[in-house]
Amino acid sequence: MSERSFASLLILPAVVVICFVVVFPLAYSLWMSFADVNLLRTTGPALELLGIRIPLFRYVGLQNYVRLLADPLYWDSFWRTAYFVAAFVVETLVAGLGMALVLHERFLGRPMMRSLLLIPWSLSRVVVGLLWIGILDVEFGALNGLLYKAGLIDGYVSFLKSGFSALNVLVSVYMWNQAPFATLLLLAGMQSIPLELYMAAEVDGAGYWQRLRHVTLPALRGILFLVLVVSTVNGFLMLDLIYILTMGGPGNETTTISWLGFQTAFQFFKFGPGTAILYTLTALCLVLTVVYHKLVFRRLEADEIG
Amino acid sequence: MKRRASRTFVYVSLALVAVWLVGPFVWLFVTSVSYQRNLLTRPLAFVPPEVTLDNYRMVLGMMRFHAEGQAAKILPSMLNSMIVAAAVTIVNLIVGTTAGYAYARFRVPLKTLSLFALLFTRMLPTVVLIPAYFLLFKALGLQNTLTGLVLAYCSFTLPFTIWIMKAYFETIPADLDKSALVDGCNRLQAYYRVVIPVSGPGLVAGGAFTFMLCWNEFIVAQILNTKLGTTTLPPVIAGMNGQINIDYSVIAASGFLSALPAVLLVLAFQKYMVQGLTAGSVKG
Repeated sequence: MSERSFASLLILPAVVVICFVVVFPLAYSLWMSFADVNLLRTTGPALELLGIRIPLFRYVGLQNYVRLLADPLYWDSFWRTAYFVAAFVVETLVAGLGMALVLHERFLGRPMMRSLLLIPWSLSRVVVGLLWIGILDVEFGALNGLLYKAGLIDGYVSFLKSGFSALNVLVSVYMWNQAPFATLLLLAGMQSIPLELYMAAEVDGAGYWQRLRHVTLPALRGILFLVLVVSTVNGFLMLDLIYILTMGGPGNETTTISWLGFQTAFQFFKFGPGTAILYTLTALCLVLTVVYHKLVFRRLEADEIG
Repeated sequence: MKRRASRTFVYVSLALVAVWLVGPFVWLFVTSVSYQRNLLTRPLAFVPPEVTLDNYRMVLGMMRFHAEGQAAKILPSMLNSMIVAAAVTIVNLIVGTTAGYAYARFRVPLKTLSLFALLFTRMLPTVVLIPAYFLLFKALGLQNTLTGLVLAYCSFTLPFTIWIMKAYFETIPADLDKSALVDGCNRLQAYYRVVIPVSGPGLVAGGAFTFMLCWNEFIVAQILNTKLGTTTLPPVIAGMNGQINIDYSVIAASGFLSALPAVLLVLAFQKYMVQGLTAGSVKG
């Protein structure tokens, strides 16, 4: 057997699974975004495939997309998502880098401290949401308890009641969950910066901040950019925390594109408009994949992490 | 003098980072062993005046309370979570590892394009696939089944596993396979008799990460498996959270129980997982 056909044989099972669980569903969802999907009337045109009948519904062309782009609710969610993603990316980069700089110092118990990074990251978002309810709740939240004890507030505050504060709470809670992974990547990057660079900088009389600015940050440029791209994608996709903490409310004030799509498709059971909304998100992710692809294949290949 | 000041600064920052990372999780545990009435007192006592395991007893069905019907769903759904996560992990370790090996070693047809497609799958919003699963699984009779969930979960785990394993196999010298061929193995034997046995760390990284992703997944299970007894743990806990008459302390206990397996798994295999995931993220 030639090397090429052996390689094809090895990837065949994965290709089959991915075609069945990703490629075909993705195409089917795309089709639904061009259709008038009535879940109670599945008798119309259908695709007969291996003995099963997959309803195709009525093709309506771009109608779902046209209505979407004329819907102020979509654009509100769009700009809210833009704010959410921007705030999330900035917070993740700052906290991720901040924690990495602290944990990169030499101190007693460093391996144990690094293990702690994995705790927020390994929790399901359902639990992340729950435990932050325990901290932010208006009746029993620990943060309220703390601020009250310190005399900073007269009565407990409802952090999730006003829209803007609720949106920012979502950003920070998601950051709590995600920034530790950025820290892990950055720590791995820092470890592979040659020590000589720091020694040379020290000989030149550079202080901590100068070494950070002229040695550490330039060396981490690639990884920082990677964190930026990955957290942008994660910001666009965030859904489960909204479900647990705000359900898109109060009003629609924490409704992002992904929540709007989820709500339209699975709470109102409008699959046509719902898949159209979610496909605008998918298109964004495709663009970001191109950026990530360029990044991992060109810039990070040789340097940074050995 | 300056040195000491900077050491103090480092330790203060460390303390802050530690509190930020584990404080909320520790507080979840504290609330889970507290009575709700003590959480409602003002000023709040940060060290609980009474410690109780009642919340855990209620969650595990050892103690009767008004929402016991809801709590009775926890253990069966935990078993479902375990079955689904284990099955997806096994599928991933067999199918994903084999594909990862092919990408690391051979000139796979359409290599660049298929790697790009995999990367895109990694970044895809899973929720866009759910309307299709909903109708497809209905046609196939997989709605409200664990098999359906296992299939759906492969969509977001398999690309990661392939990527992690590809990065791992690239660290194993190709000479190893070559000498196995010289010793009379065929290509397939070289893979599973020689390469796989030395790939423990990679398999652990890929397997543990897959298990964690499945154990924690919420949205897909919430939408696809709505029939009683067919869903996994996260939707059950989220459902309790939505009910006004269940004390937070009880919800905290169920949340803590559900978090424990994933946290312990990750802490146990942290060395391999961090290596595997870092390599899988930064290498093309």
